[in-house]
Amino acid sequence: MTLSGETPAGSGLDSDVALAAGGDQSAFERLYRTHVARIHSLTRRMLSTQEADEVTQDIFVRTWQKLGQFRGESAFSTWLHRLAVNVVIERRRSFAIQRDRMSDDPAALDLLTVGPARADLKVDFEQAIDQLPPGAREIFVLHDVEGYKHREIAVMLQIATGTSKRQLHRARMLMRKHLSGD
Amino acid sequence: MHQEWTDQLSDYLDGELSADERDAVEAHLRTCAPCAAVLDDLKRVVARAATAAARPPDADLWAGIAARIETGGAASPGRVMPFGRREARRFTFTLPQLAAAAALLIAVSGGLAWNAAERIGAADPSVSVAQPPQTPQTADADAASPAAATGAAEFARVENVGMADAQYDAAVADLEKALKDGRGRLDASTIAIVEHNLQIIDQAINQARDALAGDPANSYLSSHLVEARRRKLDLLRRATALATETN
Repeated sequence: MTLSGETPAGSGLDSDVALAAGGDQSAFERLYRTHVARIHSLTRRMLSTQEADEVTQDIFVRTWQKLGQFRGESAFSTWLHRLAVNVVIERRRSFAIQRDRMSDDPAALDLLTVGPARADLKVDFEQAIDQLPPGAREIFVLHDVEGYKHREIAVMLQIATGTSKRQLHRARMLMRKHLSGD
Repeated sequence: MHQEWTDQLSDYLDGELSADERDAVEAHLRTCAPCAAVLDDLKRVVARAATAAARPPDADLWAGIAARIETGGAASPGRVMPFGRREARRFTFTLPQLAAAAALLIAVSGGLAWNAAERIGAADPSVSVAQPPQTPQTADADAASPAAATGAAEFARVENVGMADAQYDAAVADLEKALKDGRGRLDASTIAIVEHNLQIIDQAINQARDALAGDPANSYLSSHLVEARRRKLDLLRRATALATETN
């Protein structure tokens, strides 16, 4: 997968990755400030606003601990993002959030508070994600927001590719319902 | 709207259908306006998701991350260890090692002071402007030494540097007393190095505190103050251990 924000070879961020891997906390802080918005948005969308701060901190602490394992085979942003996704998935599992994530309960369609589209569509969009059922939510975020493929999601979540497709469609239909006000 | 067809629209959009399935969907869409409208809506949802902006957290999370890194989240083996784990260790500094560590501490402290000074707009020309380098490596601990353990016992309770001021000051006072008691067992050049670096670190601490007084909510300054305090404790602890060991 290709992520935006990847750093060209020899850039300052590459230098910061090397410095941080050597223990330079100031360099690591610069990496944090470069990537925190993307990571926090991921955690907020996949978990909740309430959990996002704590999990984002967990992710960066984990990143610091694992920097020595970063070999530069992919862009640092890609490596960091994948680590973040793994932390989020672990979090969901540890809290058993996924207990009903693959539920195909049709009543879930009624979970959304449907209203007319408003001018502040960005807020509506984020709110609509917040209201998706857990299973549909994580797959929608991973696929449509973050750009992962179904086969990648299937591996990460240990589900069948077909399940990933069904949950994605379910999520999109819910999002459509919310955003269009149908 | 026909669910048997709309159920295929996401796969259609994502190019997941076979050629035959795709042709069938397209044939239906040409004759079914409601299903075509659903497809348009889904395209808008997908486009919106693909352009969803990243938004930073409302609060700066760095201070919490820095604190956790300091108390055990080492980037490289041995870089940062909880103070409590060191109490049974025997430090084997030589003067050149201590001097090398001191040189790094000077640079680090200079960097801290520069950061603080820059924040308050009062740069001190006596403070070197340097990027904080890597933390000096912890001295190898070959074997437990009763003498070192005795000296370390006094500050084993120093578990982190996020402690309250009173607790921190008490820990520093204990260490300074232990160092003063063991001062006679260190040579003059070692004492000079230690005292010089303590002076620089104190300067960094004071500047960070002054800056924080004007901007108490600044987590960036807070993290640097915590770092400077940690380094002072670390230097005192190492010097005290050295004095104890040479007993």
